[in-house]
Amino acid sequence: MRQTYIVAYDICDPKRLRKVFKLMRGWGDHLQLSVFQCELNPRELVELRAGLGQLLHHDEDQVLFVNVGPVEGRGATSITALGRPYTHPERHAIVA
Amino acid sequence: MTSTESAALAEPAGPHAKYLRRRSLEPGAPPALVPARMLNEVTYCERLMYLEWVQSEFEDNEFTVEGRAVHRRADQPRPLKKADPKRPPGPPDRAAADQGEEDEGEDEAPPPSTPPPYTARAVWLSSERLGITAKIDVVDVEGGTVVPVEYKRGKRPSVPEGAYLPERVQLCAQVLVLRDHGFRCEEGHLYFAADRQRVPIAIDEPLVEATLAAVVRARALVELGAIPPPLADSPKCNGCSLVAICLPDEVNLLRDGAREEPPAPPTFMEQLEHHDVEELGDDPWGLGPLQPAPEPREDGDRELRRLHPARDDRVPLYVKEQGAYVGLKGERLEVRRKDQRVVEARLSNTSQVCLFGNVQLTTQALRALLERGIPVSFFSLGGWFIGRAVAHDSRNVELRVAQHAAASDPALCLRLARGFVQSKILNSRTLLRRNSREPNAVALGELNQLARKALEAEELASLLGIEGTAARTYFGQFNSMLTERARVDEQLLLAGRNRRPPRDPLNAMLSYTYSLLSKDLTLAVVTAGLDPLLGFYHQPRFGRPALALDLMEEFRPLIADSVVLGAVNNEIVGRRDFVETAAGVNMSATARRDLALAYERRMDQLVTHPIFGYRISYRRVLEVQARLLGRVLTGEITEYPPFRTR
Ligand code: SF4
Repeated sequence: MRQTYIVAYDICDPKRLRKVFKLMRGWGDHLQLSVFQCELNPRELVELRAGLGQLLHHDEDQVLFVNVGPVEGRGATSITALGRPYTHPERHAIVA
Repeated sequence: MTSTESAALAEPAGPHAKYLRRRSLEPGAPPALVPARMLNEVTYCERLMYLEWVQSEFEDNEFTVEGRAVHRRADQPRPLKKADPKRPPGPPDRAAADQGEEDEGEDEAPPPSTPPPYTARAVWLSSERLGITAKIDVVDVEGGTVVPVEYKRGKRPSVPEGAYLPERVQLCAQVLVLRDHGFRCEEGHLYFAADRQRVPIAIDEPLVEATLAAVVRARALVELGAIPPPLADSPKCNGCSLVAICLPDEVNLLRDGAREEPPAPPTFMEQLEHHDVEELGDDPWGLGPLQPAPEPREDGDRELRRLHPARDDRVPLYVKEQGAYVGLKGERLEVRRKDQRVVEARLSNTSQVCLFGNVQLTTQALRALLERGIPVSFFSLGGWFIGRAVAHDSRNVELRVAQHAAASDPALCLRLARGFVQSKILNSRTLLRRNSREPNAVALGELNQLARKALEAEELASLLGIEGTAARTYFGQFNSMLTERARVDEQLLLAGRNRRPPRDPLNAMLSYTYSLLSKDLTLAVVTAGLDPLLGFYHQPRFGRPALALDLMEEFRPLIADSVVLGAVNNEIVGRRDFVETAAGVNMSATARRDLALAYERRMDQLVTHPIFGYRISYRRVLEVQARLLGRVLTGEITEYPPFRTR
């Protein structure tokens, strides 16, 4: 089942930071500086972690994964915002 | 072993494969070398080995993805490792990952006259005498002794042998191959990535026996050319990456239901005396919690474990904007129009891409889509399904051969065709019965009768006649399923089914949703490894996806018709959306978009499977049905189980 994750990263080198940002864009929505919201199934979580694992410097950098809950449950309701509005991503077909 | 014999292996055989065997496999020709990984599989589940090796089926789940990442790390060459002379070789719980870094600092000279210890990575060795070929992650060489190290994802299991039998058999095969090449090799190590433990595995007599027996068994299964039955109610299926292809419980149910069989001979696992399967408990492979035991349903049917996902939770991307341009931006697809970004979609979250009319797709984007196995479908501006781009055809040759054999068997064609037509009639009858404001008993009775007749049709031609009559009856009643409000507008009403070009709004909408549905059935059929052009009821001509149209019959009323009804009755699409031209009616762009969205919502909806009892989305149902049809073609189950709602 898909879970909502807040992924926050702290990367010490600008070149690695750009790579991490680019990778993260493929997996979730950019919420704030160095913070993404991702909706991942177990397999995608493994893929993302493996991808990040290849980019990070394991002594200097850090990525945190916070599981907020299932996409169709707590994951959708437990994030609220102050200031700029926050919109929860919707999962339906994209028609352009 | 000669090269012709090994070539024979590339040609798999199946139950319908009298054809195959006559052509390629010389009688008694043993399969070529058995990969050590297949010895692992055959010990875990014989069917898994057959699917992966003979049918070349492959599918990722979180375990295989993680396993690959672990192997990638293992295969990366590092500086030569110098083993610590103070440390005896291969003590338990030696952490290999830590060791690699520790050792870099050490610079002690090796004892004179023996070559320095070193580590070889990704070693590929074969032994024709043993009939085994093995890719070994890591081989530690020290003095005259070598130790193969096999990397595994996950944690070390707490069993006295240090690991479960399949892993030990795989490692033992590596040891045997190394020994056959003249190396001194006393033991092998399994490295468990999750807890970074390196576990020495004793290569004792029973394990060697089990490994050699596995070689014999694997060859025998390949030669037999019949897929082994699924495991019964096994917890192993929970973590199996091929579960959605294998459909263990579904196939078992349909096999059992179809014929009484004598009990199967004991499997290879059961024959291994020293290894008592029963003792392993509920979850021997540490694959996670079991699904709760199925509750018997009220009507006495048993609900099956649904071991595969209920829905494909990635989303499709439709591009209808004329002059739009789909490009690749990092890990995302970007749809632009006149230098304006219209929309973005993450590749990782995209299930398929559908392009309508004049939409450009860059080569980079197309390649990225194909690399990820995301199908791209092309439609005319009016919604006619033109074709698709897929990365590679399925490698399951056995299934395709069986399909061609079945298509030239008129009796089987007729039997399948009867089922398709009957299901279509019954499903349209159900839709009518449920949605009609004033159900017409005569029409319902007539449909019932036609459904019965369909099952008795003697030839395809009379079946076509029955289908035509049923369609006239059904579409004659179609307007009765519209709300009062919708029926007020006479121009909206369906005046019988007509197409190419459709002459009224409802016909235009039906044609459009049928087109989307034929696209999805084509994709489902291709995913299942079947040839979409070769049908059993619909005859192959003009390159139309005949097999997809066959399977589509039972889903037309359930998916397409019901989407159209919903769109009209809920006033999502109305009279305003259509312009009449001399050549028929044209649907507005917004109506096309709204209808596509409504269609996708329907595909995502969960429905109770009439035979298996579990909840599953329509989109997944299409794939399950296509795979079950494949099982009918290879002879594993006798009757195609239709999808009929009650
Ligand atoms: S799903 Fe079960 S029966 Fe099918 S291949 Fe996997 S382990 Fe074997």
